[in-house]
Amino acid sequence: MDKSPEEIPFHNRDQQNVLVMLEEAQYEAGCVSEARIAEVAESLDVSQSEVYGVATFYSFLSVKPLGRNVIRVCKSLPCYLKNSRMIIESIAAELGIKPGETTPDMKFSFELTNCIGGCDKAPAMLINSDVHGDLTPEKIAQILKSYD
Amino acid sequence: MSKVKLTINGTQVSGREGMTILEVAQENGIDIPTLCYSPDLRPIGACRICVVEVEGSRLLVGSCHTPIAPEMVIQTHSPRVLEARKVILELLFGSHCGSCMLCNKANVCNLRSIAADLEVGLPRFQLRKRFHPIEDVSPYVQRDLTKCVLCWRCIRACQEIAKQSVYATGYRGFDSKVIVDCDVPLDKEVCRDCGICITYCPTGALTRPTKLGKEKPGKSLVITK
Repeated sequence: MDKSPEEIPFHNRDQQNVLVMLEEAQYEAGCVSEARIAEVAESLDVSQSEVYGVATFYSFLSVKPLGRNVIRVCKSLPCYLKNSRMIIESIAAELGIKPGETTPDMKFSFELTNCIGGCDKAPAMLINSDVHGDLTPEKIAQILKSYD
Repeated sequence: MSKVKLTINGTQVSGREGMTILEVAQENGIDIPTLCYSPDLRPIGACRICVVEVEGSRLLVGSCHTPIAPEMVIQTHSPRVLEARKVILELLFGSHCGSCMLCNKANVCNLRSIAADLEVGLPRFQLRKRFHPIEDVSPYVQRDLTKCVLCWRCIRACQEIAKQSVYATGYRGFDSKVIVDCDVPLDKEVCRDCGICITYCPTGALTRPTKLGKEKPGKSLVITK
């Protein structure tokens, strides 16, 4: 309570740049590598653990290399109530991987994310930057076929 | 410092401007349980164990981080407050490993002592238990994150007192975890002669490593006349 913000490393002004720098890394390389995390930490004078903490908090940043296409299925409540579990299961069955994994041919990465703002057409998912809504398990195979 | 008059549990008390509800309560001998709070650390209101009822507020407020205001009317042990604290504990225990019987710190554990005070036994909510392999690489600090309740006291003690920032929070939601570097087992030379995080850990998650082989070096003690 009696500490000024300057005394607290967690709130120091430099750290506000962490997210921007990590987004850049994600955009350039498709993932945030440990080497990049070390660089960011070094340049902003924050600890590596803090940078890694930010990188793992956001679902649009990844610390592992991702496939060519990234599927992000919404795991928030509106989609859950509209049976997103079935969608997750059918994607898993179609690709043979679980959420958080990438197919061995690096074609698809399968991730879960928090709300993507597609609640009006729940259950929804993103593939790269395309929104797919009103999903049913039957539609999955067709949608996945349109990506290579 | 101007005085602030307020009412706690029907009694008129006064505090100084800038004090938190918890501080005023403690000054007046009222015992509010806390878990993530420490007088030495920046309050973050993470654990919610210290919630109290403030008249006019729709929700219960965390007393460790809420500053007092003139004419506040506070209840620290009303039925609503006690019920909320019990549910919070049950939720904390829901994903906690629950192996108190096997825990070396069981009888110095803040979590367990609060549970005993509030008469919380087996939690109603049975969740998937968190599991993290024990980290015993460092000769200075041993981490058993399965027992961690995410109070962040180790993170704050390391940052604010030791000025090191070895720890940070990683991941999100149920997967949240106190991490070191890129989520590697703790093994840092700066932890030598420190171990402040162990002192601040309210559970058995952080301990000083014991080397059983070194506990009884040399010959056994034989008493002869």
